[in-house]
Amino acid sequence: MTPAEQRSDENSSAAPAEIERLKQELSRAHDMRLRALADFDNYRKRVQREQDSAAQAGKRQLVLALLDVMDDFERALAYATTAPESILTGARAIHQRLTDLLQAQGVVPYTSAGQPFDVTLHDAVDAIKTDRAPSGVVLDELRHGYRWGDEVLRPARVRVAQ
Amino acid sequence: MAKAVGIDLGTTNSVVAVMEGGNPTVIINSEGNRLTPSVVGFTKTGERLVGQLARRQAVLNPENTISSAKRFIGRRYDEVQNEIKNVPFKVVSGPEKAVRFDIQGKLYAPEEISAMVLRKLVDDAAKYLGEKVTDAVITVPAYFNDAQRTATRDAGKIAGLNVLRIINEPTAAALAYGLDKKTSETVLVFDLGGGTFDVSILEVGEGVFEVKSTAGDTHLGGDDFDKRVVDWLAEEFQRDQGIDLRRDRQALQRLTEAAEKAKIELSSVVETTISLPFITADATGPKHLETRLTRAKFEQLTADLVERCAGPVQQALADAKLTARDLDEVVLVGGSTRIPAVQALVRRMTGGKEPNQSVNPDEVVAIGAAIQAGVLTGEVQDVVLLDVTPLSLGIETLGGVMTKLIERNTTIPVRRSETFSTAEDNQTAVDVHVLQGERELARDNRTLGHFRLEGIAPAPRGLPQIDVAFDIDANGILTVTARDKTTGKEQSITITGSTQLSKADIDRMVADAQQHATEDRRQREEVEARNNADAMAYQVERQLHELGDRAPMHERARAENLINEIRQLVQDQSTDMARLRQLSSDLQQLAAGLAASGYAQAAAGGAGSAGRNGPQRDSAADDVIDAEFKPRS
Repeated sequence: MTPAEQRSDENSSAAPAEIERLKQELSRAHDMRLRALADFDNYRKRVQREQDSAAQAGKRQLVLALLDVMDDFERALAYATTAPESILTGARAIHQRLTDLLQAQGVVPYTSAGQPFDVTLHDAVDAIKTDRAPSGVVLDELRHGYRWGDEVLRPARVRVAQ
Repeated sequence: MAKAVGIDLGTTNSVVAVMEGGNPTVIINSEGNRLTPSVVGFTKTGERLVGQLARRQAVLNPENTISSAKRFIGRRYDEVQNEIKNVPFKVVSGPEKAVRFDIQGKLYAPEEISAMVLRKLVDDAAKYLGEKVTDAVITVPAYFNDAQRTATRDAGKIAGLNVLRIINEPTAAALAYGLDKKTSETVLVFDLGGGTFDVSILEVGEGVFEVKSTAGDTHLGGDDFDKRVVDWLAEEFQRDQGIDLRRDRQALQRLTEAAEKAKIELSSVVETTISLPFITADATGPKHLETRLTRAKFEQLTADLVERCAGPVQQALADAKLTARDLDEVVLVGGSTRIPAVQALVRRMTGGKEPNQSVNPDEVVAIGAAIQAGVLTGEVQDVVLLDVTPLSLGIETLGGVMTKLIERNTTIPVRRSETFSTAEDNQTAVDVHVLQGERELARDNRTLGHFRLEGIAPAPRGLPQIDVAFDIDANGILTVTARDKTTGKEQSITITGSTQLSKADIDRMVADAQQHATEDRRQREEVEARNNADAMAYQVERQLHELGDRAPMHERARAENLINEIRQLVQDQSTDMARLRQLSSDLQQLAAGLAASGYAQAAAGGAGSAGRNGPQRDSAADDVIDAEFKPRS
């Protein structure tokens, strides 16, 4: 046995505690690595799940802002009864183009008036005491609600009979 | 193992966050929002709604829609008389004079209502994470007494949660900024939320937080700022049109939304337009609201609200027997702390200290709670906390500019390398000057070390390829190596402590860079223009040399004149960039002419492509002599 080998033998027999400690450290490091991998894997899966909706989320801000302008436009049309017929026809055509453009993106308004109040579709602004409709039914829309695919993009803002 | 979450159970809104891979993440609820209204509604059909949906039906069902349960939790009926006046639902005295909400004859304790909010937050979190959530850390205001804390803990239990700990909101905010790692600090937390204002002074040491004092105003917040704008808009409109928009619920809602939007915009711009066409109508036809609101006007409208924040700050300091000078850190919490006038007040009251505000103030409490949850479940310890380089690292290149190899905030360990070249013909050595900082010019940055790579085989400038690699290991130790690709000669330096700068130093260096950004960019452009002009002169000189007698006399003379003039300007460090660019462009045209006219068949290609294109960058000039380069021993 060479002196070098001897020394290494002495070392290993002299340090069982050291070996134990290293084993523990290794298993801890192994555990940490697995956890990190698992965390990353879960993260990756969720990112994948969210990828489609993330693309939509980018558009969402723009579409919502556009709907605000659409609301103003519809308010204008509602008042435009005294305008010359030719202007009105033109304005309605522009409104239709805007509606079609939104529809092409899957953004579609839904009717709320006459429907029972539903928190998933409606945001109540006012409760009106009336005999015109049974209690709990939407009287009128102050702002249309819009769907985007399966999702309610923007709830309708409504007044409800009570 | 199930995840533990951190929950900021707020008066108006709640937020839930979780540790993911060592980083706190705010969880998005089932409606796609980061904030969940702390509102519970009981419909006539017996359905229970929580959050946004409950809020949507509040006006139809005010007596059965509970908001602000936090104002009632853990309190006796006789303590909340003032609060009762502000809410539309029925508050009664229950067993042992405890507060109860009377919902259609059924009595609910405030902790039961809070439990419903907690349940929704945790259910949404479980859906988001794809795993069960059972453990939580919940925050409460620092001034909450034992009864209020116990009741909050009970709310967690009712929601089926294992409440790991109840912690103070200011403590959570300080945790989010890692202030627990400091040895001994005094921290002021300024929390201006939607409807409440709290000031807390904390003593932090070795991970232990002690609340020294608290003060505040339970009815002051962002909603008050909105209301000022609404009132101003409505009064202006009434003066012009004679109609009070506040009487019309729909108009009021549009006004309120527009006011909040304007307030938010005025945090980043100094003037905004408020446009509400067809806001109302009378016999004369439709009316529009169209006006501009400046930040100055907004500040005038809300000056007294901002001033109301001053008293509690003074009070908290006085109660803690401290002055502004004793504060080490200031932390901003709550969306309203984004208002510039509020920030100015905080600075004024805290001796001009720059407040911590890099974490979203709406989310900072939940993030701190999530960090605490991670620590308590051992997750934070288990995760390797990846460090980042606080400042950019790079080397000095031709003309005294800093070329960055590693950008600031890069997660370490990391290795980046780039190929550089020589600036002179037959240059046999390069000086590598290792720099740290954000400024464009080498002299404005911090020198980490120097070394010299010698023995480069003589070659025309731009031809030798020298790989410079920066390697930072997990302990933050930086090794810079330069290697000549042709000869394989290599030299390196190891620098420790490049990541151990104090936060103040880092902040100062980053702020410096921002402050000098324009001037630095101009100087860098000048250096680049000079380098380009010099390279152009060099190329054309070589072209002329290789053409020899084939170059027409007239063109040769003109080119030589231009080259001389450019060299003179470069040497004089001239700042007449327009002249330099003009000369370069003239020379370039001349060179193109020389090449195109058929004289330059053999020469143009090789010389033209030397060095300038591709990944190469010119390295430190040979004449940069530095006595103190430190090669690795």
